[in-house]
Amino acid sequence: MTKKLLQKTSITYLIFSVIVLCVSAPLFYFITERLYLDETDENLLLYKNEFLKYSLPTITISDIPAWNKSNRNIKIGSFTNIAKDTLFYSAYYDALDDEKETYRELNTPIRIEGNQYNYSARINLVDTEDLMNSIAILFLTITFSLLLGLFFITQRLSITLWRPFYKTLGLIEDFEIDKNKQPHFTETSIIEFNRLNQSIAQLIERNLIIYKSQREFIENAAHELQTPLAVFQAKIDTLIQRKDVTIEQSEILSSLNDNLYRINRLNKNLLLLSKLDNQSYGDKQTISLKQVIEKHTDFFNEQAKAKKIHIETNLLETLETKSNPVLAEILVNNLFLNAIRHNIINGKIIVTIASHSITFSNTSGANALNPNKLFKRFSKINPSEHGTGLGLSIVKKIADINHWVITYDYSENLHSFTVTC
Amino acid sequence: MKLLLIEDEHELANSIQRYLTGKDFVCELANNVKSAFDKISSYDYDCILLDLMLPDGSGFEIIKELKKQNKTEGVIIISAKETLESRLEGFNLGADDYLTKPFHLAELLVRIQALIRRKNFKGNNLVSYNEIDIDILAKTVKIKGNKIDITKKEIDLLLYLIGNENKVLAKSAIAEHLSGDMADMLDNHDFVYAHIKNLKKKLNEAGSSDYIKTVYGLGYKWQHD
Repeated sequence: MTKKLLQKTSITYLIFSVIVLCVSAPLFYFITERLYLDETDENLLLYKNEFLKYSLPTITISDIPAWNKSNRNIKIGSFTNIAKDTLFYSAYYDALDDEKETYRELNTPIRIEGNQYNYSARINLVDTEDLMNSIAILFLTITFSLLLGLFFITQRLSITLWRPFYKTLGLIEDFEIDKNKQPHFTETSIIEFNRLNQSIAQLIERNLIIYKSQREFIENAAHELQTPLAVFQAKIDTLIQRKDVTIEQSEILSSLNDNLYRINRLNKNLLLLSKLDNQSYGDKQTISLKQVIEKHTDFFNEQAKAKKIHIETNLLETLETKSNPVLAEILVNNLFLNAIRHNIINGKIIVTIASHSITFSNTSGANALNPNKLFKRFSKINPSEHGTGLGLSIVKKIADINHWVITYDYSENLHSFTVTC
Repeated sequence: MKLLLIEDEHELANSIQRYLTGKDFVCELANNVKSAFDKISSYDYDCILLDLMLPDGSGFEIIKELKKQNKTEGVIIISAKETLESRLEGFNLGADDYLTKPFHLAELLVRIQALIRRKNFKGNNLVSYNEIDIDILAKTVKIKGNKIDITKKEIDLLLYLIGNENKVLAKSAIAEHLSGDMADMLDNHDFVYAHIKNLKKKLNEAGSSDYIKTVYGLGYKWQHD
């Protein structure tokens, strides 16, 4: 079970305190009782010694009833056949309190005028129950104070002491490597937190450098490919002009040409993706998505014609939003062409613009798609298709740049992509 | 027509040169900034094809030099650089067109033709081919003097075909030309067939000869038998 660090330490402290208190309470009780008993016994012996030294020489047998009458706790009784000092507990009924009181009693044989008598002194003991209660109350009070104290200290610590930690945590949580926003850690007065901040800052820095060089590598690689591709293209264009090309050769050339076209497309899309990563499309303007759609409707109709796809447009709103105009066009065009590409013969496409969203719905031979894989690079539904596998990641990237949300939905045999602005 | 091709990639330069030479162009070659400077100060050209990344400097320096010498040559930048910034810089300096590598030679050819037409523009912008007359500004096509009903895209296709007369045009090259910026997203070129078919039909119905030939497996060709 996961808990906050402070809760965990507090709970440990608490459990420890409770155990210590539980063990020490009875111990405390026994020691107190022991000490008390020792003190009582000592007092009884002291009384006895005083009695033997000061009172006994003056007492005669005739004085005994008077002595017993005037002394409640020291009595002289008939000889009980004991040889020496005997300490024991005894209980007497206390009529005033209407309960039995426990006493500690010392009996010792004495001689008065040659006759043996029994000296008996007693001291009322504190009630065991009372003692236990007092100790229980005392310890409960201590426990409660500890709990209360710990609770408030924890609260305070979590607010003051751990504040820099939670701040750091928040910064790391907000950090995204593909956004050009490096977290700035402030200096704290705690050595460990400073070390933590420094290590994280270094870690982030190193990762950013690696990420950046990786990104540049993709861009450079794609860029460097442009020139050899241009040569390749020019050579094929030259070769197909030859009069002596046989049918077999022209089939090979045609296939070369198609595949070169695919490489070009892939390369251009990779370049676009890395450019999107580098955020070189910052300038946002107010644009109307309706206009973007209308601008190329003829083109899309033309593309759809080959598959006899029926395009239905419900452009209810103008949907003005902020975006780089080029990117908005790329997004719309990709989604539109996607709807055509993955469509079936005699299928349909519904384009709907609502007040804050644009939706492309299309029929398709495929069942519901896996939304987790959909926007990943090179994840193709049908590997044999001639798509680059980059279209939807470009769409996603553009949506992210504009802080739009793109969702996929499948219902009633229609695959729908909705961009919410 | 005299062209200057400034390009350091020999293989590409040779292919461009060969393709253009067959189309009534004289194409001279420079493979660095220095030799380009020598050529532009000694000769006049109808059009300059300019690569931006040259071994001894940037192609932009050559455009600046042209300006300095008050030369009016049209400039088409052919570059692997595709950023908006380099495009804008090129146009701001005075380039007339920008073609990103890789491109089809046929595309380069029609861009050169269009540029030269614009440069030599004298009140009308006409392209004629036997019985066919195309008015580019008015977007009209006449066959044997009779106007035909034709879309903008079909005029574009017609110009592309006539411009590349006797050249085999791959379907993908035509598709790219017709779809412009969208070309990078297309994976299907079937729409080219529909356009060719429609254009062919319109030309034939108006009494034009059948110039559009299908080249098996590869594409199409505009050819006068």
